[in-house]
Amino acid sequence: MKRKIAMALVAVMSLSLLNGCGGDAKKSDSASEGAATSGIFSGELEENVTIQVLENDTAISKGYFSQLIEAFNKEYEQYGITAVDANMDQYLDLANDGPYGYGPDVLYQANDVIMQYAQGKHILPLPVEKLDSYSQIPEAAWQAYMVSVDGNTYTCGVPVNVQAPMLYYRKDLLPEDWKESWDANSNDIPDMIEDWKNMYDFSVQRHQENPSQYGYMKSLYDVYFSSGFLFSYGGYIFGDNNTNPEDIGFAAGDSAKGAWILSQLAGIMNEDCIDDTITTNAYSKLADGTYFATLSTPDTYSTFYDELVNEYVGQGLNQEEAQKKAEENLVMTGLPKLPESGNLTEDNPKLVDSKTMGGVNGYAISSYTKYPNACLAFVNFATSYEMIMLRNETLGIAPAREDVASDLGGLSEAMYEELDKGNIVLMPSIKEVSQIWTPGQTFFTDLAKDAFRSEAEKKYKDLDSMEAGLEDMCNQIHDAIYTLE
Amino acid sequence: MMKKHSFGKAFDVAWTYALLIVVGFIFFFPCLWIVLASFSKSGSIYSFEGFFPTTYSIDTFKKLFTDTTMYNYPRWFFNTLFVAAGSCILGTFLTILTAYTMSRFEFRARKPMMKTTMVLGMFPSFMGMTAVYILMTQFGLINQIWGLILIYAAGAPMGYLTQKGFFDTIPKAIDEAAKIDGANSAQIFWKINLPLSKPIIVYTALTSFTWPWSDFILPKLLLKEKDLYTVAVGLMSLDETEFSRFAAGSVFIAVPIVIL
Amino acid sequence: MLEGFKNYIGVFKNSSWRVKLSALIMGSGQIIYGRIAKGLIYLFMEIAFLFYMIARGFKDIKGFFTLGTQKADAWLGIAGDNSVVMLLMGIFAWIIVALFIGVYISNIKDAINIENTIISGKHPKAFIEELKELIDRKFYVTVLVLPVIGICVFNILPIIFMILISFTNYGGSTVPPELVDWVGLDNFKKILTLSKFAPTFIRILGWNILWAVVSTTLNYFAGIGLALLLNKDCVKGKAFFRAFPILAYAIPGFITLLAFKFMFSYGGPVNQMIRNAGGTPIGFLDLDAKWIARLIGLLVNCWISVPSIMLLATGHLSNRDMSLYEAARIDGATPFQQFKKLTLPFMLFATMPVLLGQFIGNFNNFGIFYFLRGGLYLDGYFLASDTDLLINWLYNLSIDNNYYCIGAAISLIIFIITSVISLAVYVNSPSFKEEDTFQ
Repeated sequence: MKRKIAMALVAVMSLSLLNGCGGDAKKSDSASEGAATSGIFSGELEENVTIQVLENDTAISKGYFSQLIEAFNKEYEQYGITAVDANMDQYLDLANDGPYGYGPDVLYQANDVIMQYAQGKHILPLPVEKLDSYSQIPEAAWQAYMVSVDGNTYTCGVPVNVQAPMLYYRKDLLPEDWKESWDANSNDIPDMIEDWKNMYDFSVQRHQENPSQYGYMKSLYDVYFSSGFLFSYGGYIFGDNNTNPEDIGFAAGDSAKGAWILSQLAGIMNEDCIDDTITTNAYSKLADGTYFATLSTPDTYSTFYDELVNEYVGQGLNQEEAQKKAEENLVMTGLPKLPESGNLTEDNPKLVDSKTMGGVNGYAISSYTKYPNACLAFVNFATSYEMIMLRNETLGIAPAREDVASDLGGLSEAMYEELDKGNIVLMPSIKEVSQIWTPGQTFFTDLAKDAFRSEAEKKYKDLDSMEAGLEDMCNQIHDAIYTLE
Repeated sequence: MMKKHSFGKAFDVAWTYALLIVVGFIFFFPCLWIVLASFSKSGSIYSFEGFFPTTYSIDTFKKLFTDTTMYNYPRWFFNTLFVAAGSCILGTFLTILTAYTMSRFEFRARKPMMKTTMVLGMFPSFMGMTAVYILMTQFGLINQIWGLILIYAAGAPMGYLTQKGFFDTIPKAIDEAAKIDGANSAQIFWKINLPLSKPIIVYTALTSFTWPWSDFILPKLLLKEKDLYTVAVGLMSLDETEFSRFAAGSVFIAVPIVIL
Repeated sequence: MLEGFKNYIGVFKNSSWRVKLSALIMGSGQIIYGRIAKGLIYLFMEIAFLFYMIARGFKDIKGFFTLGTQKADAWLGIAGDNSVVMLLMGIFAWIIVALFIGVYISNIKDAINIENTIISGKHPKAFIEELKELIDRKFYVTVLVLPVIGICVFNILPIIFMILISFTNYGGSTVPPELVDWVGLDNFKKILTLSKFAPTFIRILGWNILWAVVSTTLNYFAGIGLALLLNKDCVKGKAFFRAFPILAYAIPGFITLLAFKFMFSYGGPVNQMIRNAGGTPIGFLDLDAKWIARLIGLLVNCWISVPSIMLLATGHLSNRDMSLYEAARIDGATPFQQFKKLTLPFMLFATMPVLLGQFIGNFNNFGIFYFLRGGLYLDGYFLASDTDLLINWLYNLSIDNNYYCIGAAISLIIFIITSVISLAVYVNSPSFKEEDTFQ
C-alpha cells in the first residue's frame, strides 16, 4: 500500500498538468501557422487586438512612451488596435521567452541584440520599403539590420536613433581666459574640445593647479568607449564589414597607437579609471566640478543634467535658475580629434578623426506575435517624423531620420553625418560579438592598471608591447568563439 | 585564592564584552552604512565623504514608495512577502516533517535517500535552470507567483539534514513512553516532538522566509512581468545611478526579517 | 534481490486466475476479493496511465530518441520541433513509465498477498485499516510523499536533463530552433583532448578545494565561537548583541556583496580613507590582486555566513545536557577542556550536516566572486580568472559563452568527483553512522 497513494498522486498530478500544457502548445502553434514570409504582412490590419510593446526604461520614465502609445491608440482607435507597455525587463531575451509565448510583440533594442534574434528567426523580416521612414533613413543604418539567409537579404528592424559615445563637459569649468590661451584658431570652440592633445594638456594643468581636480576622466575598462581609440588607427572588430568572426581586428593597422593614447590618458587620471568607479560616479563628479569632461552615451544626458541642477540648487540657486544654468553649461558634443602619431605630447600634431563604436537602436517585431500587421502599423507610427521629433525633445536622442536630424541641426545633424561618414563603427550584428566584451575589458583594465604600476612592473612600455597585448586579446576572443565550436 | 579567582572572572567578562563589541561593530558597520546611504540626498554613493553621505533626507524613501511608474517597489514588496510567506509555511512544514521522519523511522529506503539528497546538493544548481524553466513553460507556470512558491517549497526539504541533526538530539525515550500510552506516530509528532522543536522550527522558517528575499535567479527566470517581480529582481534592474534607492529598497527588505 | 524476484514469478505462476487477471486489468483481483476501494484505485491508475501514453506518452518517448525531425521556421510558418522540450518531456515520460511499472508490480504483489491471506483463512486488512496505518506505523510514507515528488520533479529531473545534455551537441549555434542531436561521448573527448582545458581545470579545482575547506572551517568556528560567546553566563543583554549579526543576516546576500564590492573599489570609502591619509589606493579586487581578492572573498563570505551558523548553533546549544558540565566543573575541568571534550563533540555531531551543507554551499558558491570580481579572463586561465571557482567557470562556459553541452559535461565530471568525496566523508561521519550517540 505504501507507494500506491504516492503513485496515484503523481499520476493525477502529471495528467492534469500535461493536459494543461497541451492546450498551450496548440495556441502557440497556430500563432505562426500559415504565415509565409511574404504572406505575413498582408497589409490587412488585425482588428480589436492588443499589442505589447517593449520600450527602454528611459523612454518610460521620461514619459515619452506613454505619449507615444496614447497617440497611437487614438490614431488606431477605429481599428480597435491598442498598444500597451509590455511591462517587461528592457533587456529581456526574446529567444528564451518568445518561443514559449511570453515575449512582447514589438521590441525596441540595440541593433546587435536585435540581430542576434534574427539569426534564430525570432524576429520577422520587415517590408521596410513600405514604411514612411524608408527613404529618410541612411543606408548605413539600414545595413545594421540586414541579414542574409539562403542568399536573400532581409531587413529585420527599423532604426530609430544612433547611439555613440559623446564628450560631456562643463563650460563654466573652462579657464577664465580660455578664449586667449585655449583657442589657437579663434573659432570659439575651446581647443581641448577640438583635439585630444589639448585635452591632455588641460587635464595635466587642471590637476596641477588643484590636486583634487581632474580634467578628462573615464574608466578604461568599458570596451564600448575604449575600442573607438583603436578603430581610429585602423582597428576593427570583425573582418568583411563586421561579418567574419574568423578575422578579429582589434590589433589591426596601427591600433597600438590607440592603446597608447588610452594609456597616456590613464596617466592623467587617478586609479579610479581602473575599475568602474568613474563610470558610475561621473554624473556627480562632473556636477561638483571634480571632473571637467567625460565620455558617455547621449541617453545619459538627462542624468548629468539632473545632477548638475541639484548641485546648483545646493549652491543656493532656485530651481529655475539652476535649470537654466545647467542647460547653458552642460555640453554634449562629438569626440575631439586624435594626433596621427598617437603621441599626446607632440606639438602641433597632424590630426585624424576620432572613430567610435556605436549602435543603432530600433524597433523589431517578434516572430511570435499574432498580429504582425498591427505591429507593423505601430512601428510605422513610432518612426514617423512627429514621433521621432518628440522622442528627441523628451529623450535627447540622435535620430536616424535625416529630415528630423537636419531640422534639429546641431548635434543631431553632426551625429547623423558621422554615421554617414563611417566614423561611427556600428556594433556587429552577429552573435559572436558577445565574446568580445570580457577579453576586451580585461585588456583595457590591464592597460589602465599599467599606468599606476611602478616602472619595473610596467607591462606596456612601448607600441610593440601594446600591440602584443592587443593580439593576446584577439586570441582570447578567437578562443572564446572557436575552441568549443 | 578567592581574590585571584574574581580577578580572573572580571578579566573574562571584560574580554568577552570587548570581543562582543568588536563583533557587533563588524556586523553593524556595513549595515549602518547601507542604512545611511539610503538616506543620502544625492542618489549616488560617490558624493559621500568617506563612508557617509554629506547630506541626508528621506526623499529616497518617499520616492521608493510613491514613484511607481518605473519601479513599483510597494508592489514588489508585497509580491515578495507573499512568496516568502507562502514558501516559508509550506517549506517549513515539509522540511520539519521530512527531517522528523528521517530521524525517527527505520525503513529500507532511508539510508539511500539520505545519501542521494546529500549528493544532489553537490550539483551546480544553475545548470538545471534551463530544465526548470522549460518545465515551468510546459506546466504553464511562468508569470505565476505561486509557481515560484511551488519550486521554493519543493526544494526546501533538500536541506532537511540540519533539522534532522536537531531531532537526533531529542531523546527517543519520550516517544516510547507515548507509544505505550497508545498514541500513534502522527500524534507523537504533533503533541510531543513539535513543541520540543520550537527553536529549529524558528530557524527553518527564518531561512525559508529569507531566501526569496535575496534570490533573484529563479524569479528572474520565471517572472517576466515587471508587476510580478520580487524585490530582489526589481532591485537588480535598478539603474546604477540609483544607489540610495537601491539601499533604501534593501533596508526595507530587512525590515520584515528583523521583525521576525 | 533476483532470488526474490524469481520467487515472485513462481508465486505468480501458481496463483489463481484472479491474480492473473490483475496482471491484465489492474485492481481486478482486489475487486473480486472484495477490496473494492483499493481495486478501483488501481484500475483508475491503469486507465490514467493508458490515457497519458496515448495522449502524449508514446510521442514523448519517441521524441526522446529523435530529438526532433522538423526544424522550426517562424518565417515560413513552420512550427517545428523544439529539441530541448522534447528531451525534457521524454525524460518525464520515462519517469511516468517507471512509476507505472512500480505501481504495476505492487498491484500484483498486493493481489497475491490478499489471496494468500484468504487462503490461509485470515481476513485481509480493510481499506480503512490500511489508511490508518498511514498515520501510525507507516507515517513516514504519508509524510515523505510530497517532498519526494517535489524533489523528483524540481531537482532530480533537471539533473537528469543536465546529465543527458552532456551527451548532446546543445549549445553554441545549436540551440532551438536548430535541432539538437545525440553525439555520444564527443563532449568528453573534447574536454580531454583540448590542451587549454586541463591546466585551467586543475588550477581552478585546486583553488576551489582550498576555498571550500578554508571558508567552511572559518565560517563554522567563527559561527560557533560567536554562539558560545553569546551563550556565556556573564553576558547581559544577549538579545542586544545578537541583533547585530541578525541584522547582517537580514540583508540579502547580493546586496551585501555589491556593497562590499563598492567598499573595496578604487573610488570606494576604504580607498578614500587611504588617499586622505596620503597613501596610494590599493586595488583590492583588480586584476593583479589575486591573493588580496581571495582573502577579501573569504572574509566577506564569513560575514555573510556566520550569522546563520550562529543562529543554528544557539539552537543546538540549548539542547545540551547541562548536568555533564556541572559534573565536569566539579572534576575541575577548565573551560577550554569543557569546550574540547564536551561542547565540540556535541556540536560536531549535531551540526555535522550543517558543516557538510556549508562545505557544499561554499564549494558551489557562485555569488561571491561573480559579484566581487566578475568579468575578467586572465592569463593562464581559459575563459576564467584566478579567483573564479569551478561554478563561475562553468557559468562563463555555459551561460556567457553558450557552450551548454560542454558545461554540462564538465559539471558532470565535477559532480562525480565532489559527490564521491563528500559521500565518503558523510557516510563515515558519526551523525550518519551513529545517529543515536546523543540520545
